[in-house]
Amino acid sequence: MQVVNWFFRRKDESVRSQAKDRMRLMLIHDRLELPADRLSSLEEELIAVVSRYFDIDRQTTRFDLQQYERRAALIANFPLLRSKC
Amino acid sequence: MSGRVIVITSGKGGVGKTTASANIGVSLAQTGVSVAMVDMDIGLRNLDILMGLENRVVYNLVDVVEERCKLRQALVKDKRLPNLCLLPAAQTRDKSAVNAEQMKKLCGELKALFDYVIVDSPAGIESGFQNAVAGAEEAIVITTPEMSAVRDADRIVGLLEARKEEISQYRLVLNRVRPGMIRTNDMMSVEDVLEILSVKLLGVVPEDEQIIVSTNKGEPIAGTDNIRSGLAFRNIARRLRGEDVPFMDLDELNANWFGKVVKFFAPARV
Ligand SMILES: Nc1ncnc2c1ncn2[C@@H]1O[C@H](COP(=O)(O)OP(=O)(O)OP(=O)(O)O)[C@@H](O)[C@H]1O
Ligand SMILES: [Mg+2]
Repeated sequence: MQVVNWFFRRKDESVRSQAKDRMRLMLIHDRLELPADRLSSLEEELIAVVSRYFDIDRQTTRFDLQQYERRAALIANFPLLRSKC
Repeated sequence: MSGRVIVITSGKGGVGKTTASANIGVSLAQTGVSVAMVDMDIGLRNLDILMGLENRVVYNLVDVVEERCKLRQALVKDKRLPNLCLLPAAQTRDKSAVNAEQMKKLCGELKALFDYVIVDSPAGIESGFQNAVAGAEEAIVITTPEMSAVRDADRIVGLLEARKEEISQYRLVLNRVRPGMIRTNDMMSVEDVLEILSVKLLGVVPEDEQIIVSTNKGEPIAGTDNIRSGLAFRNIARRLRGEDVPFMDLDELNANWFGKVVKFFAPARV
């Protein structure tokens, strides 16, 4: 299992791990035939939906793509503060 | 006899398909089996040059397919290894000169005559690739550790996966690996590429100037002792034959000690 971390890219990363991260993200898009902007619009929509039900901590909300063999999975993590109803 | 037909393919051009075809052909033949190398890069004939056989080409693959000559007449014998032959590509035709059906038939005839049939394919993922893989049961995907080459290799892996019925297995050869650049974290490691592509490894070939020298001499490097890249190809041939050959200095070519610790706790799929 590999976690693709495009959300928090550290500045001090080596060229090698940058290449690896870019590569993983690129291939996930290639394999799914996913346009570049789709994930960010999905994230926005997901946040909007969850926000109708909960106050969420936007600072620590995270989206990760994980690679299992040649398949990808989207993992979303919404820290919930309180219910809205 | 029914030999194994193995296609060598890459997606991206210039990553070492023809070099690998020549060297794997030579290495397999050195182990004693009979080998035919087929140049399917029609219109961009190269394999004859790498083998130093360009002056002996009389007929070519298209002549065979179009029945202008017998298969045996078109096969060019290697200069050194009597059990190694080349079926050259046509230089003045294009990729459409041979279709998938014709290639299947040709490979069928070749594998009745040889233990191994090694098919060098053109770059790209279009008809040239489709025709080159048409008669094969196995594939070798070759890439360098560069992002554009890995991306194209992934396309090829996807296409091979879609042909699971015909292609029973495929493995990766990582070419032009520069251990120094991996050590300084300036390039993806062998492990990185395998992880990203999720494929099995067949071999690792280091970057080596001697390969260019050997091309100029028309003598594939695998025929020379004591050269790392030549040894890499000979190891690939032994693995193809089912031997369990340890990957050479992969640790050195590979990650730093930290990578090894991580691997110890979470072993990689390879
Ligand atoms: N391990 C290596 N070290 C150094 N040079 C190499 C290595 N492998 C290949 N080369 C060089 O790279 C160039 C391209 O190699 P080659 O012709 O085998 O690639 P190819 O994939 O067949 O290209 P094409 O897609 O055009 O058919 C050649 O000049 C070759 O000598
Ligand atoms: Mg070539």
